[in-house]
Amino acid sequence: MLGLSNQALSNLLYWVTRKRWLIFTFIISLFLFYVPSSETLSPEGHRTLIIVVIAIILIIGEVIPLPAVAILILILEVILGIDTPNGVANSFMSDAVFFIMGSLMLAVAIVSQGLDKRLALGIIKMTGNKTWRIVFGFVSISAILSSFIGEHTVAAMMLPVALTLIRNTSTDQKVVHRLATLLLFSIAYGCAMGSIGTPSGGGRNVIMIGYFSKFGLGNISYLDWIKYAYPMLLLEIPIAVLILWMTFKPNQTILDSAVRKLKVNVTKAGKMTGNQVMAILIFVAVFLGWVFLSPYLGLGIIALIGVFLYLSFGLIEWKDINRNTNWGVIILFGAAISLGIQMKETGAAEWVANQSISIMSMLVDDIGFMRWFISVFLTGLLTNILSNAATVAVLGPVVLDMGGNPIILGLATSIASAFAYLTIVASPTCMIIHSSGLVKSSDYLKAGWKLFIMSVVLLFIISNFYWPYLS
Amino acid sequence: MKFLIAIGSKEFSEPTLELGMRVARAFKASVTIVYVGEKISAFSTSEVLMAQENLENWELDRQGVDVLEWAYNYLVENDYISSSSEKEGFIGDKLVQTDDDRCEVFLEGKHTQEVGLILRNGDIIQQLRDEVKRGEFDVTIIGASKKRRMIHDLIQFIDSSIFVVKNYDRNKQYKMLLAVNDAPNTKKAVKYGVRVAQAFDLEINALTISNTIEFRGNYKKASAWADTFLRRAGVKHSINLEYGKFIETINLIAGDDHIIIMGSSTRSPLTKFFTGSKPLNVCEKCNCPALIVK
Repeated sequence: MLGLSNQALSNLLYWVTRKRWLIFTFIISLFLFYVPSSETLSPEGHRTLIIVVIAIILIIGEVIPLPAVAILILILEVILGIDTPNGVANSFMSDAVFFIMGSLMLAVAIVSQGLDKRLALGIIKMTGNKTWRIVFGFVSISAILSSFIGEHTVAAMMLPVALTLIRNTSTDQKVVHRLATLLLFSIAYGCAMGSIGTPSGGGRNVIMIGYFSKFGLGNISYLDWIKYAYPMLLLEIPIAVLILWMTFKPNQTILDSAVRKLKVNVTKAGKMTGNQVMAILIFVAVFLGWVFLSPYLGLGIIALIGVFLYLSFGLIEWKDINRNTNWGVIILFGAAISLGIQMKETGAAEWVANQSISIMSMLVDDIGFMRWFISVFLTGLLTNILSNAATVAVLGPVVLDMGGNPIILGLATSIASAFAYLTIVASPTCMIIHSSGLVKSSDYLKAGWKLFIMSVVLLFIISNFYWPYLS
Repeated sequence: MKFLIAIGSKEFSEPTLELGMRVARAFKASVTIVYVGEKISAFSTSEVLMAQENLENWELDRQGVDVLEWAYNYLVENDYISSSSEKEGFIGDKLVQTDDDRCEVFLEGKHTQEVGLILRNGDIIQQLRDEVKRGEFDVTIIGASKKRRMIHDLIQFIDSSIFVVKNYDRNKQYKMLLAVNDAPNTKKAVKYGVRVAQAFDLEINALTISNTIEFRGNYKKASAWADTFLRRAGVKHSINLEYGKFIETINLIAGDDHIIIMGSSTRSPLTKFFTGSKPLNVCEKCNCPALIVK
């Protein structure tokens, strides 16, 4: 066949079956390229939207490595004449990318200090041995810590605490299934909720702040963000505990023996070491820098200063940072931000926004509500299949061009991108708890849809009845 | 020879491991046992790896290590690994991370040359294909899957013989059904069959099925060759020539108390991909273990 040996043909078939999404993407992009562009959309805007479609399909399908998707975005931006090579390079690197890079590196540095045993001791001292109190402690601590440090750092530190409690309760997975699900989701959902609290909670918050500034909508400081988002975080905690408890009510209402064993385990760690004290001090300094110096230095540069200090004081080695930092994701987010900026520059974002509004106006009279609902709902859904930062990077410019109060819509979009409760791939924290092997993919939907709706309703109340007073 | 045994869980993989190890012992092959865990999203690879490394500080094992530990215990209980490996015991942190999605540990075998335990994460077909290519395995042994596509892709894309362990019951007395025809891989299949039959002391039924009443000359020749070979090997056997539809006939004769051995299809990969093949049908429709020799 075609002069190919059976082996070569077999390899080709294998490639085709594994890369069918890539082939589909190629066909779709060719089709879109030759579809006549709308009169209200510039040719550059049309081509930018084609790149958006390509990127979304390739990211969801994961048919090629993420860095390859990022590189493809940059190449296409130049080849399709959307911007000059220097223009693309300028839009690729920003403080938001520095922040994502710095926070991923900080995560590695913090996790490697062994502070999780201190954390475990702190939690069980606070909560005692009643299961509901432990769940409350897990959700609260995960949420509050992840609002400053970043969600996957907290998840990586909390996971062994939960697994030790589970294992100390019983090694029979059937006996502890509900308890395991409850504790692990307390971590994952706690971290997701917490990530909205401050700009440093997630790269997407910094991306949105970057868009506000870039698009001339004003500067949101670290403390401003906290004023907007923290009340929602605090309100979500008890409701989430209640939802999780009702959904995965465990057979064990008291974890007396498991808690005692955990105490014995963590007290073996001894007193806090000098390195651990130094690690905490550096992070506190970084945090203070974010609060007071970010308007002058930028959130990203401050995060990188933290990394520099960790490396300089010998608290972490470069090879550990290099091994555990997801460089592909950093490159991808850089490319996604570049694409977002091109959407704005070429008018593609405005065109999509106008189309959405004209469709909405046919359905509902109250455009203000529909504008909000579409931004939040679309972001919430996309974040569960794409990635929260990529979602904000691509949808951000569209939302900011929709009309109404762009700050409120932008903040709502950024916060909605944390509603990653429904799927395993929704966020690294969901993936981390799934990697324990104790939660099934169907478990994500059981409590996830309730949390999703609760969060949307709460965001609606906060953004309509609280935020207007802050503006 | 090198055998790769893919296991999925403690609950369902014991028959696969048991039959796989017994066959490997018959061939005095080196064995590698692989567990393929779920795929980790590319967005989270480093984060999950970091969390898993952190678990080691708490002496907690990552997902899949418990399955490998169970396999290790099976090997100890059934005397498959040497006393030196047994004394050391299996500890999860002996696993050496070779790639982001792969770690391994090797033990000294007793009856087999070497026993490796491998933990992988990702798409099962891709991971097994990579492992077979990396380790140059001759036979891949896997339990039956309810997913039709899985068996199809295994047979189509894995570059080794495939042994699908379906409905294996250790208490059942099995016979061997050798599917003989004029395909080039039949001779290799007969040779494999002899080794297995000798090791398990099984009686072989060398079956040739024709879809026409009149048997093709090559079919008769193949059957005669198998008869001579089996006689020379000193294996108790019978030669049968049957007329009928291949899959229905072989399914009827095999029932659930035979181990089927047959050569892989010689049809072009493209034809096999779209229309299937006899070995694929056997693996899907028969209710007994089947070895497809490539």
